Amino acid sequence: MYKWFALKRVLKGIFTYVIIIFIMSVLFNTVNEQTMRSNIEEQVRAETMRLKNMQPAAIQRFQQQRRDDLIHLYRLDRPFMERILYRTWNTLTFNFGKSTIIKSSRGEREVLTIVGEALPRSLILFTLAAVIEIIVGIILGLKKAQKPGGSLDRTTSLLTMIVYGMPTFWVAMILIMFFVYQLKIFPSAGMHSVPPPQGIMYFIDLLWHMTLPLLTLVVIGFWGISYVVRNIVLNILQEDYIMAARARGIPENKVLFGHTLRTAAPPLITMSVLSLLSSISGAIIFEGIFSWPGLGNLYWIAVQQNDIPVLMGDLAITVGIYQIGLILLDLTYGFMDPRIKVGGKA
Amino acid sequence: MNLGDTKYRISEFWSEFRKERSGLVGLAILVLSLLVVIFEPAILPWKEANSKWRSIDYWQDNSASAPPAWTNAFTKLKAPVTVRLDDGEKEEAYLDGGVKLVTYTFDYHYTADKAPLDVIFHITGHGDIPFQVSVERPDGTTLDLGQRFEQGLAGQDIRISVDNDGREAAFTFIKNYESEGALEQYSGKSLRTNDILFNTAREGMAREFRPLKGNYKLMVKAMLLDPENSDVQKPYVVVTGSVSGLLGTDDSKRDLFSGLVAGLKWALLIGLLTSAISVLIGVMYGIISAYFGGTVDSVMQFIYQIVNSMPVLPVLIVISAIFKPNIWMLIAVMVLFFWTGSVMTVRSMALQIKEETYIEAAKALGAKKSRIIFKHMVPILIPYSFASMALSVPSAIVYESSVSLLGLGDATIVTWGQILHDAMQGAAILKGIWWWVLPPGLLIAIMGMTFAFLGFSMDKILHPKLKTR
Repeated sequence: MYKWFALKRVLKGIFTYVIIIFIMSVLFNTVNEQTMRSNIEEQVRAETMRLKNMQPAAIQRFQQQRRDDLIHLYRLDRPFMERILYRTWNTLTFNFGKSTIIKSSRGEREVLTIVGEALPRSLILFTLAAVIEIIVGIILGLKKAQKPGGSLDRTTSLLTMIVYGMPTFWVAMILIMFFVYQLKIFPSAGMHSVPPPQGIMYFIDLLWHMTLPLLTLVVIGFWGISYVVRNIVLNILQEDYIMAARARGIPENKVLFGHTLRTAAPPLITMSVLSLLSSISGAIIFEGIFSWPGLGNLYWIAVQQNDIPVLMGDLAITVGIYQIGLILLDLTYGFMDPRIKVGGKA
Repeated sequence: MNLGDTKYRISEFWSEFRKERSGLVGLAILVLSLLVVIFEPAILPWKEANSKWRSIDYWQDNSASAPPAWTNAFTKLKAPVTVRLDDGEKEEAYLDGGVKLVTYTFDYHYTADKAPLDVIFHITGHGDIPFQVSVERPDGTTLDLGQRFEQGLAGQDIRISVDNDGREAAFTFIKNYESEGALEQYSGKSLRTNDILFNTAREGMAREFRPLKGNYKLMVKAMLLDPENSDVQKPYVVVTGSVSGLLGTDDSKRDLFSGLVAGLKWALLIGLLTSAISVLIGVMYGIISAYFGGTVDSVMQFIYQIVNSMPVLPVLIVISAIFKPNIWMLIAVMVLFFWTGSVMTVRSMALQIKEETYIEAAKALGAKKSRIIFKHMVPILIPYSFASMALSVPSAIVYESSVSLLGLGDATIVTWGQILHDAMQGAAILKGIWWWVLPPGLLIAIMGMTFAFLGFSMDKILHPKLKTR
């Protein structure tokens, strides 16, 4: 039953996420508590400033009182295991607390707001890039598979290997240097012009700002996809039913797109989602080069400002996105290929 | 498996590998870079680039953000190249009162169209010594550019920069040629010494630079007031040009070629060490998981899935930002994520091998589990992991450079990622300093390409199904 398979996979994903967050709470416990304690000190000092007409002794008593209250509130006086579990629970309920320096566009200091603002910007960039990559990659891969060992196949395979280890951020730097400062046809940074234009121009402006980051991701991304598509399709093209289809006189394009692509769909989808996930897990900091205000750029800012709560929140959300991607991957795979869900083991 | 068997398998592999042209190219680049690493001391133009990469003094005689020397080939006005002159001609003379005069003369052949940025004299001395620096121009005139009296020297390096110390002398020099009216516009401060020193002497020389090409004699004179207890050694002159070295300099005057050569060994080390350790762990993990099965398998698969569902780079960034690891720690952390790469393939292959009859025979003969694993399973599966070993090298290098790009790299070494980080900090993209941005990334890409060539070729040989038919 697909229903049970899906439920099982989702529950497993959630369980994995809980465990990862727990490991991180243990790993980063010391630095988290340091930040909390300095936050408490800051708050106590701010409250003392507001007091007037008090004796020094009374002020000191008040400070001590407040400090104890806050430490109790954040459970810093509890045993180690309880603190860890408390923090894990806070992270799981997206209760990241307040940032130390970074503010959201409306000036708020809630980490969830800051990360939540960045999230859709990253998603739009990476998913759009993935869609373009997949389309280009599948078309190129099919062409390659049609004539394996041909000149197109060989040159593109060579190019695939050449771009294999190319760092995305470096390609971004080169493209900026060429298109922005030499040719001056694209904006250097950001997501919108300042001030952002209204109406339809708003989207054109967005696209104009997005072109270069998209170009970077696509130029690096589609080679690998086309190589995998070629290998998958090549295997299928040798099956008997393809030969049968050809023998019946079905047009070559229909054989390719109808018969071959349908069989190749499950692994192709896996690979597409995986490539999207791998760019999240490997290329995300290239946003910093373009000052594209997404999750990757947030890492840059948080590292430079040493803003620990934002760094933690950003990481928790990125891991979450990655986890959701993996779950979606298995769900679609199970949907496309019925054999998977019968086995129950994804 | 005995030695002859191994030899046979290697020769068999080689005869297949020889047919892969891209694999051979990859092998050639790998061997070449290993040679560069071995002969690094001979290749480095700046010998102490490794230990003094972040020292300001070591690089002070270079010019900042200078393009590579070969860019002269594409420009109309040739810029002078930074050179270091070491072979000074030594002359000794005794003056009245037991004073010994030591003169070192350096020949500088000047052919460029622009003036050098600076001429810097270096000399090491002991005792109380007055120094004088002068230059004899091709037209016969001699300029005394500066004096310095150093007391109580104990082997320090004296640095005399003509640009700083020779301004007044240069101003006095143009007084001979310029009219009163023209001179009023200038003072010792507004002139660049070297624009005068390498200029053709004539009226209007302060306004316009017309190079006087030819042989310049750069002289440094040391008066040893007490020849018994004082001496001078190791003189050299640096003529700082506006182009420098094979790949130019960055904005802190560092020679980029030296930095890139010094970074090569770290890139190779990071890549090879990370991938080798993690693939070995992965292979062992897969075999153990498959061989024991049951609960062991379930637990191991569960751990594998947890690690596999963490995004590597974000976790790596946060760990580096918080623990500030050195390079060895960073490699260790990367291994913690990388070992998952080969587990699944190895596990499924090991599940097949486990059922083979010779394993059963070994078991029946009473072989221990460790013997079966190490003698019968590991030797068969290790070769298959070579391809994935090679293919995971580039990602290790790229991850390290990504972490370094954020400024979280190990500050005791030089890596290509750190050079790119400095380039970002120095706004090299905005200023168009391409020789600072292009080469480091290109080298990372070439390293990636090399291992991709090797990995894909091995993959083709080891998994014959992918062969083009």
